[in-house]
Amino acid sequence: MKIDEAIQDVQRAETELAKRLRLTGERHAVEHDLFHLGHTLARKCGEHLDRLATVAGKYGVQAESAPAAESPGLLETARHKASELLGRSEMTGMLLLRDLRELYLRAQEAEITWVILMQAAKACRDTELLEIATQCHSETELCGKWLRTRIKETSPQVLAVG
Amino acid sequence: MSDRIAEVWGSRTSYPAGGDWPARVDEFVEDGVEAGGVDWVQSACVLCSNGCGMDIGVQDGRIVGVRGRSEDRVNHGRLGPKGLFGWQANNSPDRLTTPLVRRDGELKPATWDDAMNLVVDRSRQVLTEQGPLGMGFYTSGQLFLEDYYTLALMVRGGIGTPHLDGNTRLCTATSDFALKETFGTDGAPGSLTDFDSCDTLFAVGHNMPETHTVLWSRMLDRLQGPDRPKLVVVDPRRTRIAQEADVHLALRNGTNLALLNGIQHELIANGWVDQKFVDAHTVGFEKLASTVAAYPPERVAEICGVEADDIRAAARIIGASERLVSTCLQGVYQSHQATASACQVNNINLLRGMIGKPGATVFQLNGQPTAQNTRETGANGDLTGMRNWQNPAHVEELAKLWNLEPAQIPSWGPPTHIMQILRYAEEGSIRFLWITGTNPAVSLPELHRIRSILGQDRLFVVVSDPFLTETAEFADVVLPAAIWGEKTGTFTNHDRTVHLSEKAVDPPGEARPDMEIFIDYAERLGLKDKDGRPLIKWRTPEECFAAFGEATRGRPCDYSGLSYEKLRGGSGIQWPCTDESPDGTERLYSDHVFNTQTEYCEDYGHDLLTGAAHERKDFTDQQADGRAILKAAEFSPPHEPPDDDYPMLFTTGRTAYHFHTRTKTRRAPQLQAAAPEAWVELGTTDAERLGVAEGDFVRVESRRGYLEAKARIGGVREGVVFAPFHYGYWDKPDQKAPTAANELTSTEWDPVSKQPLFKVAAVRVTKTGRPVEERS
Ligand code: SF4
Repeated sequence: MKIDEAIQDVQRAETELAKRLRLTGERHAVEHDLFHLGHTLARKCGEHLDRLATVAGKYGVQAESAPAAESPGLLETARHKASELLGRSEMTGMLLLRDLRELYLRAQEAEITWVILMQAAKACRDTELLEIATQCHSETELCGKWLRTRIKETSPQVLAVG
Repeated sequence: MSDRIAEVWGSRTSYPAGGDWPARVDEFVEDGVEAGGVDWVQSACVLCSNGCGMDIGVQDGRIVGVRGRSEDRVNHGRLGPKGLFGWQANNSPDRLTTPLVRRDGELKPATWDDAMNLVVDRSRQVLTEQGPLGMGFYTSGQLFLEDYYTLALMVRGGIGTPHLDGNTRLCTATSDFALKETFGTDGAPGSLTDFDSCDTLFAVGHNMPETHTVLWSRMLDRLQGPDRPKLVVVDPRRTRIAQEADVHLALRNGTNLALLNGIQHELIANGWVDQKFVDAHTVGFEKLASTVAAYPPERVAEICGVEADDIRAAARIIGASERLVSTCLQGVYQSHQATASACQVNNINLLRGMIGKPGATVFQLNGQPTAQNTRETGANGDLTGMRNWQNPAHVEELAKLWNLEPAQIPSWGPPTHIMQILRYAEEGSIRFLWITGTNPAVSLPELHRIRSILGQDRLFVVVSDPFLTETAEFADVVLPAAIWGEKTGTFTNHDRTVHLSEKAVDPPGEARPDMEIFIDYAERLGLKDKDGRPLIKWRTPEECFAAFGEATRGRPCDYSGLSYEKLRGGSGIQWPCTDESPDGTERLYSDHVFNTQTEYCEDYGHDLLTGAAHERKDFTDQQADGRAILKAAEFSPPHEPPDDDYPMLFTTGRTAYHFHTRTKTRRAPQLQAAAPEAWVELGTTDAERLGVAEGDFVRVESRRGYLEAKARIGGVREGVVFAPFHYGYWDKPDQKAPTAANELTSTEWDPVSKQPLFKVAAVRVTKTGRPVEERS
């Protein structure tokens, strides 16, 4: 049985996704929705890891926890600065689109690692793991859908203007 | 008539459950005017979404007063203080009477020709350099249906940009989206007469005594009459409605969703669910039940800062109701998890089977008088006639109506919301912004940011308004607009009642109706249909209204059976009004078939946490097909929790005497005298801790800005600070300290409705004792 591998893949993918969500949110903090939702969804990744930790030990895998967020006060200051500097340039659009695309791929990766884990859980008749994986999977899938929506809205303005 | 400043709701005219609300005609005419010499012209009030029927009194070509229409179904003759006194703004000496054009940094009078040519030249330049996506339009909730429909065609069909929104985004976007999420399309299910027969009222974040004074009179007449309905109120403030409540849940702002989940938890756990109704007419019950199972009263009490027993008591009242009317307003719409929470209020009525019959409905109420029309005409986040931008057949219908190629109408994404439009202006991809009848320099969040965006040189700003507002100060061109009483048109209130408002007097100077300005612009710009004929086919409001009737035929907001002739005299008429239902329709969904058929619905819905848009297949997977959708959501904490530096929660709101940024109500002497200046409300224990006494000046500060105002003590829960949002600067340009509540609010919006959040910000309060002018 190699379920430990699948669990570690999920851990890696969710950790990476959380990091990217925060990074993108902060780099594009003038896109206020990205900033807020990026942090909310990164927190969700952390919750996923915590839930997985409750069963990981059974398969000999060490618990992982997501990297912590910074304090909102600090970010607020950074955001204002960024808004003045970066936010007024049209080049931010291309950068934004590229970062969103990258983030979307991270979300897709995390999503498929959950699918793999779900399949393994089914075959091993581990209902506890299956329940966790199913719920986390649907949340991760939503993260991808959200990014898809955001990318569809952003690309016309970035690419068709000028 | 009693002193209607002191007695906002007038004398009581109580009536029993199911009875007719007695008529009472409220009237106000200027001193010295002889009633005999007054001509009365039919209209309705445009100072809130109740839309009370009123006649305008005219003498010698001047408006001299108003009186309520006793036969009107909305108000039975009553008017509130804003309705009675607000019309005086029309006669204000500082109305704009000529166009203004900025020359050498200053706004100078100009001719219409000069001003319009400048607007058109700049439009052409931006269209050439940036394309249609370089053009943005931001309109009002106070124009008429005819203005909006003309604007929607001009922008979406003619210019071909999705960047058109209304300031209704600030007041009713969540109402619109919550209705679409649950019922498949926009449209208030119920009728105002449901207040007459209900046995239970559930008001969530709705300070009705201040926002909708005449509707509150109706409720007071029930509450203080025989067969008093039970009342449950959710609000962090001890408002007048909260004082009348059987249970008042004074929760922490930002926690509505947890509370509503808690109430649903109790309804389900105690079997207070109409299971037959739920099984036959809804989808999503299992998911909802499993979601709210995690919200027992004790947990919710902790999140919301209320007593668990009060949650139980509230649920018991709702669970025992036989005719339940629920209402929501800004306390939900402008707060954290707005659409998600508004959907839970819909759920509560659905769980109880309380919809589509007398006394049983949910009202996702509106704020502004003509907000409903921006939604119907497509001058905000929707397509004309409640069409679905993701449904190619709907877009084709529109293209056919407008004689355009379908590809001309932007439908690759949802219509752009105002905060995004401003973001595009900030980054420089939008270079032309036309603002009609609204004042974003006071009403949008985080004002220093708004001012810096509007003040950019590369952005060309056109403002149409009756007055020189704070926003007009940023304009390159200002166009003087005719308003209510000076033009004919229609508008629709929050129970779908359509009123005709006739022209009573000429506009001042060269001011013109917005519809005429749009037609003029479209012609000068040369906007054409696909056969090369002028895009806009109508010239008069009546022709426009008839065209809109055709545009809505077969859609939920069907106006095809309405005409000006039919709306003249008598009362207003509720849509849908068709050949089959010529007198209008009092309630939607009386057959419990909802508008969730894939081909018919207005929206495929969203994930409530992230706002991820569902696509067609997601929607069809739910197999709603005429059943209402019970949407579930988890509570997630607000994004700016109080901390050591900013330990309190800030919320904003309204007074009965003012409307929006006071451009009209400040010019009515009685209203101005009743609420002349900004204030701040603090809870008793917080005031003690801060050493603040009633009338002391305080400074309220967030990470984004501050305001200073006199303190009023009591009336809010501990840890919460309240300020009204009306007080900008146009009447006091030399004022030293800011008073606009939106200096403090943050740039954040609901992920689904994109409504900005004005009810959750972390702040600190310090006592300054005296106003800044007296301090130095
Ligand atoms: S309740 Fe609203 S519509 Fe009625 S008079 Fe007052 S402001 Fe006008």
